[in-house]
Amino acid sequence: MASRGLVRFVSRVSSSGLRPLSSTSVCRATLQNKHVTDKATSPWTLMAAVCLQRLPVISSDLSPIEQQFKHMLSQMELEKSMLSDHELRLLEDKERMSRKQANDYDSDDEDGRGDQDIVLTQDLEDSWEQKFKSFQPAPRVRADVDENLTSPERCLADSLLLLVEQQVGGQKMWLLPQTQWQEGETLRQTAERALSSLSGAGFKATFLGNAPCGVYKYKLPKAIRTESSVGTKVFFFKAILSDSSRPAAPTSPFLWVTKGELQRYLKPAYMAKVDRFIPQV
Amino acid sequence: MNRAVRKVLNQALTSCRATPCIQHPVWASVSQRQYKSMPTHGIGRWRHLLPKEAPKKKKDRHQMKQIMSATETAYGTLNVKVSGFDMTVVEHYSQYIHNLCNRFGIKVAECYALPTKSTEVMLMQEQGTKMYVDSILKTHERVVQLSSLNAALCPVFMEVILKNQPEGVQLSMKEHTEADYHARFKARPELEGLMAQIGQ
Repeated sequence: MASRGLVRFVSRVSSSGLRPLSSTSVCRATLQNKHVTDKATSPWTLMAAVCLQRLPVISSDLSPIEQQFKHMLSQMELEKSMLSDHELRLLEDKERMSRKQANDYDSDDEDGRGDQDIVLTQDLEDSWEQKFKSFQPAPRVRADVDENLTSPERCLADSLLLLVEQQVGGQKMWLLPQTQWQEGETLRQTAERALSSLSGAGFKATFLGNAPCGVYKYKLPKAIRTESSVGTKVFFFKAILSDSSRPAAPTSPFLWVTKGELQRYLKPAYMAKVDRFIPQV
Repeated sequence: MNRAVRKVLNQALTSCRATPCIQHPVWASVSQRQYKSMPTHGIGRWRHLLPKEAPKKKKDRHQMKQIMSATETAYGTLNVKVSGFDMTVVEHYSQYIHNLCNRFGIKVAECYALPTKSTEVMLMQEQGTKMYVDSILKTHERVVQLSSLNAALCPVFMEVILKNQPEGVQLSMKEHTEADYHARFKARPELEGLMAQIGQ
């Protein structure tokens, strides 16, 4: 079950130097002492990254089987359904017209509304048809917007992920926005800082919780490795884009990519870890 | 002659009472009449084996369920409200959320519907100033009440719900309050009037 897996992951995370949150002062004092002794010995630099997703706006297209099934279901529902008020009125009007055309028609025999002849139900239906024909819906797929990788409105049927090009250890590479953890802040605050500083000021996001969803461990090459810095650990936090207003001036180049295009931009080891918490949709 | 008949009868009765009647072992504990003579009489009885239930009161006033408060690792009672114009889509989505909670092991306290709200769209006529009713839009609302949501499971749950939200359906998650519970009931003006009179 997903909950059990996540609980196990959280316990593993807490044992690796992440300072757990607690509310009692006694606990905090002992933890701080522990943290001071830990800091001296922990050789990993901690970083937090944000996995910002834009949710799909429209439902994806149906596969051929789904289309056939939908067609069959709608046919069955139509055959089993009862006549609506509007359809009953249409039938009544037709009957009344045929009775009027008969030779022995007596208008006193009618026991219905007097104003039926002024606005016929068929005329109402025709006026509705006209209005429907004049309505132009927005196109579901726009090819030019799909090509533009920086626009958050591309690929409305899929969910998009934000990628930023950052300098890491002398090399420029595409990855999820990340910054280093500082003293006195929670990892989630680090992730929020990463989002606001690296990808421009325009992205309003809602973070989905205090627990990270994934971790990536990177050991430095043997030449640079020392006693105090063995490597970095990056914790990923999930966030949902709340509004897609364009940022005024992005500080670094960014991309909105779908899961299929992710492979082209991320390094294989990083991609394997990120792949685990990005769902297929 | 009568005395002779009476003597014979007395003898017959005493002889009957002398012979021991066959006691069926099952009937020994029961105070029912044992007039059925088949040995298998009462072989299918099972209701006497069930535990005694308290008699159910017919007029049971609907009590409010206990509202759980948030702890350090879990949220309290949450209301997931699904609303929209298309009733089939809204109902199917609320059923989807309910099934998802069952699969994740999240306890669902209640699952109810709020009354439908009708909105009349009135358009101005092309010639003239009269407004006529163009259409009636009905907003349907369904609420799934979760009794407690684990804080570590919350991001996973939220993501699945948000990714599968259909078009035309609005989702909102709020904490459940007593005011929300009382909003479900109709106001009773005559009762309130009488209570005010008693209060005065």
